[in-house]
Amino acid sequence: MTTPRWLRRLFPLLLVCLLTVTACSSAPSKYDQVQQETTGSNAPAAVEKGAQKGGTFNQFFPASEGEFKVVPSQEKQGFAEYKLKRDGETLAMLTINDTISLPAAAKKYETAADTLSGFPLVEQGSTATGLLVNGRYQVKVLSRSDGFTGSDRLTWLEKFDLEGLSGLEANTRAYRRVQKKNAAKAAKAAKQPKTAIPQPTPESAPPSLVPQPAG
Amino acid sequence: MSVKIYEKVDKLPTGGLTVRALKTLDTFVPGQWENLVGFDNTIKTVTRETDEAMVQAIGERAITLFNDKSEGYRRALWLYESVDSASGLLGTAAIANRIGQDTFLGFLKNITPKPEKAQTIDLSVKLVTEVVAFCHINGIPGDSLGDFLAALGDYGSESLMRMAALVSFDGVIPLGADFSSKALKAIKNMGADELEKNKTFRGVRKEIPGKDAKGKLSFITESFESTQGWMDRFVSDKGITQHGLVDKLAGFMEGSKSKLDYLGAFLDVSVKYYEHTGVQTLARRLIERAVAEL
Repeated sequence: MTTPRWLRRLFPLLLVCLLTVTACSSAPSKYDQVQQETTGSNAPAAVEKGAQKGGTFNQFFPASEGEFKVVPSQEKQGFAEYKLKRDGETLAMLTINDTISLPAAAKKYETAADTLSGFPLVEQGSTATGLLVNGRYQVKVLSRSDGFTGSDRLTWLEKFDLEGLSGLEANTRAYRRVQKKNAAKAAKAAKQPKTAIPQPTPESAPPSLVPQPAG
Repeated sequence: MSVKIYEKVDKLPTGGLTVRALKTLDTFVPGQWENLVGFDNTIKTVTRETDEAMVQAIGERAITLFNDKSEGYRRALWLYESVDSASGLLGTAAIANRIGQDTFLGFLKNITPKPEKAQTIDLSVKLVTEVVAFCHINGIPGDSLGDFLAALGDYGSESLMRMAALVSFDGVIPLGADFSSKALKAIKNMGADELEKNKTFRGVRKEIPGKDAKGKLSFITESFESTQGWMDRFVSDKGITQHGLVDKLAGFMEGSKSKLDYLGAFLDVSVKYYEHTGVQTLARRLIERAVAEL
């Protein structure tokens, strides 16, 4: 099949129009960088292979009591979440996660000024309080209702079976492997010229990296 | 090109037929659903976080989780999108069937399913899609079947609205008040090959548990049986009736009152409520997990 001459002449113009439209349709986003870093064949896994199964954490969550209902909500590798409800209203989310996949999450506890039952305690923003067990397992209570205050969060953190959770081995082979891998990555990054990796300004740095002791 | 979850949430419509149709259900589930759009806005609303750097960190973790195929979120999105577009095709088939009954195109009756049977399959497949998508998004929470059912039953916000829409638009409007027993009876009498011919089923077939069409049909039947009680209670508790729904929808679909099969088919083609509320559910769950993990 031959293409008519008039159509052939029109091709470059159509191409320009198409490229212009495509370029305009997708405005740059502040999430484009992370999108690029987490897609493609070399993208790192969101959750490390050696992360604890979410189901392992179920036994350490508080039970329902009186008018408070504790309802299972999510259970994924390295993560378990329950809702704390009263009269159908969600008051808070109760979670346990394995920080093996997110070392920065554990790092914020290094400078924690407070403890709860002997575990380092950190208040994150105005709606979340967390503690770290065995340097690896993060337990959090996140408010979802105005009436659920910081002291309510502490009360419910204490209701977790923290002692039981501390019996869960943290220094596993997988954990050591990931620690080693992260240390090697950090050493490599330190050797790179500074211009290669844009350094975040203090304003744009993720707050999870900044320890925020509980008040 | 990879799907960008933040773009999907940013581009959710604030108006149009889908949003208007969903808003008509507000009287049945009052205050349960607000049309939450925009990725950052969703983060701020769900977490109550206002610090921009924290919002960014939550967003980045949510995107990372979504992009990891082994986490199941992308499959859930695919399911929500596919079941809507496949049922849209069903709507077209239903319209063709209606035309077939009214006009000389009588032969169409032989190649398109009768609206009622088509709607029955549509309802059943959509319900099963919800169960499968739920597992991809949330895993199987808890330690027992009771825990799992409690999690499934604890629907709120856009998830509850999706179920209200399923029961109303794909159940009560096209099939009437006894839609669940009608549908269950129909799928119990259905052969595997009949299911295989259905476009909605074919759209999501690969994600429905079961080694072949027969196994998948039995999974669909079991899922339907176990949720039938919930659906019937929902309809009676909320006072949902065909007449009440049609009255509400007639407000923006003129002439639909007397043509219920047209209305059902029209909703199928034009209202993408599974995709719309599915993206909202997905974003909410990703964000909830991200903020907890940081």
